Amino acid sequence: MDDYQADDETGFVVEEVSKIIKESVEAAIGRNTYQHSRVNQWTTSIVEQCLSQLSKLGKPFKYIVTCIIMQKNGAGLQTASACFWDNSADGSCAVRWENKSMYCIVNVFGLAI
Amino acid sequence: MSESLKDKTQRREKRAAKVPSEASHGVRAKETTGRTKDSISTVSYMDELGHHDDNARMVVTMENTYQMGPYKRFPVPVVTDILKDVLTSYLQEEKYEVEWSQKMTKTICEVIRARVKDLMIPRYKIVVLVHIGQFTGQSMQISSRCLWDASNDTFASYSFKNSSLFGVATVFAVYLE
Repeated sequence: MDDYQADDETGFVVEEVSKIIKESVEAAIGRNTYQHSRVNQWTTSIVEQCLSQLSKLGKPFKYIVTCIIMQKNGAGLQTASACFWDNSADGSCAVRWENKSMYCIVNVFGLAI
Repeated sequence: MSESLKDKTQRREKRAAKVPSEASHGVRAKETTGRTKDSISTVSYMDELGHHDDNARMVVTMENTYQMGPYKRFPVPVVTDILKDVLTSYLQEEKYEVEWSQKMTKTICEVIRARVKDLMIPRYKIVVLVHIGQFTGQSMQISSRCLWDASNDTFASYSFKNSSLFGVATVFAVYLE
């Protein structure tokens, strides 16, 4: 009987995920300005932090997390995604974050098991 | 106090004895009637075994396949070729423009998804991610990490460059268990 839970407990809740993303971006980059040598470290820590927080939610999902950090100098960047999955159970969340010197875009896809 | 404890242990023994056999429904039901609440849970256990319940659910549930892994694995080299083909054909001669690029990312996404779907790989969910960016001497990094079953789930990625733009396409394939 315990198998049946409310949707909120097992579903992909975008607000929850976007909060996790924002927190991990803030924690990793904070008030830093763009430094080429540290980008690798930043993306790694954002992605890792997101994944560990997502796994702590304890939901039956597989997660895909991608992170882009780009220096701001007027260059354009477009991203798009297309998915072939179960619309009712799976979900995605994208967060765009920026400060004076860089853009950071984080995508999270949750695929129900 | 001690009596009730004894009673409990007895009941537990009884329940444990009942679990493996399905044969004596009627007898068990009789035994449990008139007992305390604890034994009524045994009845609910029987309900789960009951056939009428199964029949009611048969309409919505699929039969178990007992399939533990994919019959056909996701062909990464084939998909990489698709990515290479699509990115090259769409971006080869192009110059970066904002509006064109906005449309193009979506188009390329749809095209790649359709082509990967056409491979007819059963039980795989597909996520396609496409980025198009302009070259103006900036630096950027794209990284990703996944929480999944590394033995069945996989990805394919390809990046294309020309003098004014770059395009990166990634396909994640997640096995539906």
